[in-house]
Amino acid sequence: MFDFSVLVLVVPLALGIACGFVLRGRKIVNLSKVTFGVILVLIFALGFTIGSNHDLLASLPSVGVSAFVMALLAVGFSVFFVVLARKRLRF
Amino acid sequence: MIKYILLVLAVGVVTGYLADNFVVGFPLSWVTYYLFDGSLLVLLFVMGLAFGVDREAVAKLRSTGLRVLVVPLLVALGSVLGGLVAGLIFRLDLFGSMAVTAGFGWYTLAGPLLTQILGSQWGALGFAANFLRELLTVVSVSLMVKVDKYAPVAAGGATTMDTTLPVIVRYCGKDVLIVAFSSGFTLSMAAPFVVMAIASLT
Repeated sequence: MFDFSVLVLVVPLALGIACGFVLRGRKIVNLSKVTFGVILVLIFALGFTIGSNHDLLASLPSVGVSAFVMALLAVGFSVFFVVLARKRLRF
Repeated sequence: MIKYILLVLAVGVVTGYLADNFVVGFPLSWVTYYLFDGSLLVLLFVMGLAFGVDREAVAKLRSTGLRVLVVPLLVALGSVLGGLVAGLIFRLDLFGSMAVTAGFGWYTLAGPLLTQILGSQWGALGFAANFLRELLTVVSVSLMVKVDKYAPVAAGGATTMDTTLPVIVRYCGKDVLIVAFSSGFTLSMAAPFVVMAIASLT
């Protein structure tokens, strides 16, 4: 019913932060370049997952318009609430 | 940067399509599972490293507090409201439509889950709507960051703990990392329950 593997993602993040603390003040390789390289690999894998998924590709033409509007409205209201709260509550 | 991302995304889609349809016996899971999860784990480690090394990012985090809880709550509210309005526009079942947007962008969850509960038509909608949310977030980060630093985090929903996290941090700054990750994490934990709860009301 619930996939607990999402919890696994906390481990590398916490490990990275811990290592960062230890290495603080030392000269490290350009991390943003490394990050960007890995991002591209991840985005490629994401695209590959979509392209090789029959169900997703097949569903896009038939439900495309309503799905797009749903995504747009969900994003719109989410952004609206968060931005409003940031202005009003000043957090 | 966004140019490279879209280019690589397109190359990925085409490669995936070709591998699936024209290469017999291609081990798809090498890419969709090992490469995907592997690069994600490396990425999270590297981003954690960059955060830990940075003195300022940690100082900024001290003032985060409330955001960690408020952001995912508002995103959940906004997402479900978006589904309600979309349901009214397209004259769909309102609970079904709200259940779709309650996937918070996690299409690999919303698709199969809705197929199971409400049938393949809703499953397809859940798949597509949540996938498009993820895509919309990646594409619009550079625009949305001009509205507010946390706007891309709100847009990304549950995806801000993994797929959209690197793009968001790159545009919004390292101090957004913890809010983005924890918001995505909270929404990822909540998504299966919210989708099932709302879908069961139809």
